Amino acid sequence: MNYLFLQVLTGLQISALYMLIALGLTLIFGTLGVVNFAHGALFMLGAYFAVVISDAFGFSVALVSVPILLFIVGIILERGLIRFFYERSHTDQILVTFGLAIVIGEVLKTIYGANNLPFAKPSWGSGIVKLHEYLPFLEGFVAYPKWRLILVVVSFSTVAALFLLLQFTRFGLIVRAGMRDSQMLAFLGVNITRRFTIVFGIGAVIAAIAGLFGGPITQVEPELGMKLLIPSFLVVVVGGMGSLPGAVLASLLFGMALSFTAKYAEIQQIIIYLLAVVILLVRPRGLMGKKGLME
Amino acid sequence: MSMSDNKSFFSVKNIHAYYGESYIVQGVSFDVAEGEIVALLGRNGAGKTTTLKTLARALDPKLRSGEIYLGGVALHKMKAHEAAQAGVQLVPEDRRIIPGLTVEENLIIAQVAPNKGWEIDRIYEHFPRLAERRKQDATSMSGGEQQMLAVARALAREVKLLLLDEPYEGLAPIIVHEIEAILQEVKKLGITTIIVEQNAVAALKLADSAIILDTGEVAFRGTAKEVLDNKELREEYLAI
Ligand SMILES: Nc1ncnc2c1ncn2[C@@H]1O[C@H](COP(=O)(O)OP(=O)(O)O)[C@@H](O)[C@H]1O
Ligand SMILES: [Mg+2]
Repeated sequence: MNYLFLQVLTGLQISALYMLIALGLTLIFGTLGVVNFAHGALFMLGAYFAVVISDAFGFSVALVSVPILLFIVGIILERGLIRFFYERSHTDQILVTFGLAIVIGEVLKTIYGANNLPFAKPSWGSGIVKLHEYLPFLEGFVAYPKWRLILVVVSFSTVAALFLLLQFTRFGLIVRAGMRDSQMLAFLGVNITRRFTIVFGIGAVIAAIAGLFGGPITQVEPELGMKLLIPSFLVVVVGGMGSLPGAVLASLLFGMALSFTAKYAEIQQIIIYLLAVVILLVRPRGLMGKKGLME
Repeated sequence: MSMSDNKSFFSVKNIHAYYGESYIVQGVSFDVAEGEIVALLGRNGAGKTTTLKTLARALDPKLRSGEIYLGGVALHKMKAHEAAQAGVQLVPEDRRIIPGLTVEENLIIAQVAPNKGWEIDRIYEHFPRLAERRKQDATSMSGGEQQMLAVARALAREVKLLLLDEPYEGLAPIIVHEIEAILQEVKKLGITTIIVEQNAVAALKLADSAIILDTGEVAFRGTAKEVLDNKELREEYLAI
């Protein structure tokens, strides 16, 4: 029982970070139609901002300011660069966003060096949680790092908040409609481009949240963006390009697969790629992909 | 309205539009009076849909030159959403009901941007079938019901120029009659309308006048009666 519970918890914790990054990626793809390879770099930027700001002013200041900063960075990137690539091929989009990711990585390396920046957790998030004290079905002593539990909670809350925003607000209705037929929305007078710029900003905010809460776990170094981008991109493809529920489902699947193969290092290294191949063979559009996107 | 009088409420001046490098609309000009209903006719592939999309200021086809005025307002300088806010309402040929949204959400989305037309309650009074299905996924409705919704969605906005692209396409004859009745009602509102139809006879029943397009150029402009009375015209361009 303990074993199963801990494996599931670890699975959730691994999924949490993939989920946050994949959510931002797929949100941007589903609305703007752009494959944003710079999304990992935005996450990394979030983590660097978080370290630097929380060192100087404390974590709570970072908690408020990093999402705002990334929102602004997102808006500037979309208006200043990405929007010129909407009508271009996916290959061009990948090239420009990949280039952007390299630039961001190099700039961070120049300023902060190639080494890992230590990210001190705030005191309220340090230490362990004695799970057996709360969960009577666990036997004996079962502890889990508090920060990892916080990451899981934050990640699922972010997913929930995004779903609520999209399902139950007028802004969400417009964005959902725009994801399905942006041209028709323009024929109905809606300036959908403006909404999509905000969506890009929201994607960057989700990357900021991932950086704030993922940073202390992943190490903050200039390769971080790429390291997480590849599996997150796989999550997006396996979930179905542009499908938010698909991204959530696929990240859970990957997290569990990685957690349950932890004993067998050789299998763990390839398990997500193996899963991706099998799923895409059976369902070429991914778990919840819709017809027409990326085709 | 310095640039327009009643006779040229809507004025299209020598427009040229392209899909990429394909030259489709090749110098089309015509005027439409306020409240006039025009049937835009012509063979398959003549460029009718392309013309309507150009008038609604779609990005694709691209308008490379020419001018379009609605009540003196220069539409050719606008993007699609600006033209829609200026009162152009396109009901596209494939209806383009937004999938994943309910009937009601499809109407709400039409009123996000200014200017509002009919209140949604008024729409439901006139379209009881839509009222019954308001919470239903709109694309799960029949073709006729979706066409009704497409027309209703246009009326949810302030309409100065209604562009209807093949409203009867793919519908059973009995449903065509239903949509015709609705369009007759819409006609009473006095909205300036351009209707594209393969079914030329049905379109001419509704229309005051007609334009015939042939490979992207205006081949005829006159009254609906002139088309119906002119056997050669009908045979050459309309196959009726
Ligand atoms: N998206 C497009 N890209 C390129 N060519 C197109 C496109 N849509 C239509 N065409 C071409 O433009 C011409 C006019 O098409 P269209 O305006 O749809 O005709 P109609 O509505 O009169 O049947 C046709 O030759 C058609 O093949
Ligand atoms: Mg057509």
